[in-house]
Amino acid sequence: MMELLSSILGLYEERADWFAGLLADHVTLALCAIAMSLTIGLLLGIWISEHPRIAPAVMGVCNVLYTIPAISLLGILIPFSGIGNETAVIALTIYGIMPMVRNTYVGLTTLDGDILEAARGMGSTRLQTLLRVKLPMAAGVILAGVRNMVVMTISVAGIASFVGAGGLGVAIYRGITIYNPAMTAAGSILIALLALVFDLILGKLEKYFKKRGS
Amino acid sequence: MGEPVIRFEKVSKAYGSQPVLKEFSLDISQGEFLTIIGRSGCGKTTALKLVNGLISPDSGRVLVKGEDVAQADPVRLRRQIGYAIQNVGLFPHMTVEKNIAYVPTISGTAGWGKAERRKRAQELLTLVGLPADLGGRFPRELSGGQRQRVGIARALAAAPDILLMDEPFGAVDAITREQLQDEILRIHRERGLTVLFVTHDIEEAMKLGTRTLVMEEGVAQQCDAPSRVLSAPATEFVEKLVCRRREPEVRV
Repeated sequence: MMELLSSILGLYEERADWFAGLLADHVTLALCAIAMSLTIGLLLGIWISEHPRIAPAVMGVCNVLYTIPAISLLGILIPFSGIGNETAVIALTIYGIMPMVRNTYVGLTTLDGDILEAARGMGSTRLQTLLRVKLPMAAGVILAGVRNMVVMTISVAGIASFVGAGGLGVAIYRGITIYNPAMTAAGSILIALLALVFDLILGKLEKYFKKRGS
Repeated sequence: MGEPVIRFEKVSKAYGSQPVLKEFSLDISQGEFLTIIGRSGCGKTTALKLVNGLISPDSGRVLVKGEDVAQADPVRLRRQIGYAIQNVGLFPHMTVEKNIAYVPTISGTAGWGKAERRKRAQELLTLVGLPADLGGRFPRELSGGQRQRVGIARALAAAPDILLMDEPFGAVDAITREQLQDEILRIHRERGLTVLFVTHDIEEAMKLGTRTLVMEEGVAQQCDAPSRVLSAPATEFVEKLVCRRREPEVRV
């Protein structure tokens, strides 16, 4: 065990530049997917919360997509978008939409009815109610979804190298193929740390919004 | 008395098969303080929400200043009518000042820019008997009575001439409640508002109203000056209601 740990540390020291490059690639890849999931998921969530009739159908589709194992989703996409970062981003985006849609929808549809009626009774337009009252009040719940999605995207991005994308998955994959467990572990640890850091930051933000919204 | 500010014309409303208003007609004139009393489910809240179009009638018409509510632009109509409800409905993510300034802000009313907003909000806080420096607080930091007052200040912010209040003092203790009643009486006098005030407390209805409407099962039982309701109850129900007043019951 100690041996593995020291060889991991040795790897970080020896190949610091390589790992730094992979880390940067990983962050870029994940952030691209996160931005897309965030935008699409948020808009979709808002849309179905304003049109509750279509909500079950949309949620159903998102749920089905979410249950596809990440690795097979990557495989399914190869015929359409080839190999490389593009496929990885598409797969990660599809994957990240579900927690975003779910939390946005739940956040927007479980608000205090009295407050919404007050907003309506005072003459808010639909858009004003959404932007000034509903979204700020749901911010805590939505942010919990963002946090969930970000952590998941960062970790799932680790297998993106199977379709030729960059990122820390490259170290994991290489470690497996050349039978170097230390290298696999070194890549995994960095992914875990990265996810942890993002989780911590978003947790702080979520706490702030939850406090404000209650 | 001129044209009524609010007129109900044979309004009926049912929820499913449950009728809550049956051919309800009433004229309310400028400057009246109408208290509406009855048991829960008697249609009093429904009558109130018909005025600002939160509920639309199944048949009949509701006119506000001569305009049919069903034809009016609901957003424009509601911005002219103050609305205060039992659970206050203050926005938890906004400060007291922003809550008060809500209607003028969404309406883009002149004179409510950031610089003037503070002063205006302070004036309204003073009007409802709160310290003027409360504007920076959040609703969760206030007591129940303070929240009710902020709710009233918010309803008054856009200087409406009609004020709808749905059991606004329902959730506060007896002493605070009395203070709030005196406050709203003073505001009614000072501003010449037309107030529709729903309550289930007969004493409150008697104390505040220039006219009291007693409702039961969707029908107006009596609509009269409080003194007349007391001295000459029109129906058995009204009589039972006003008799329950007087001395508090004592167990030992």
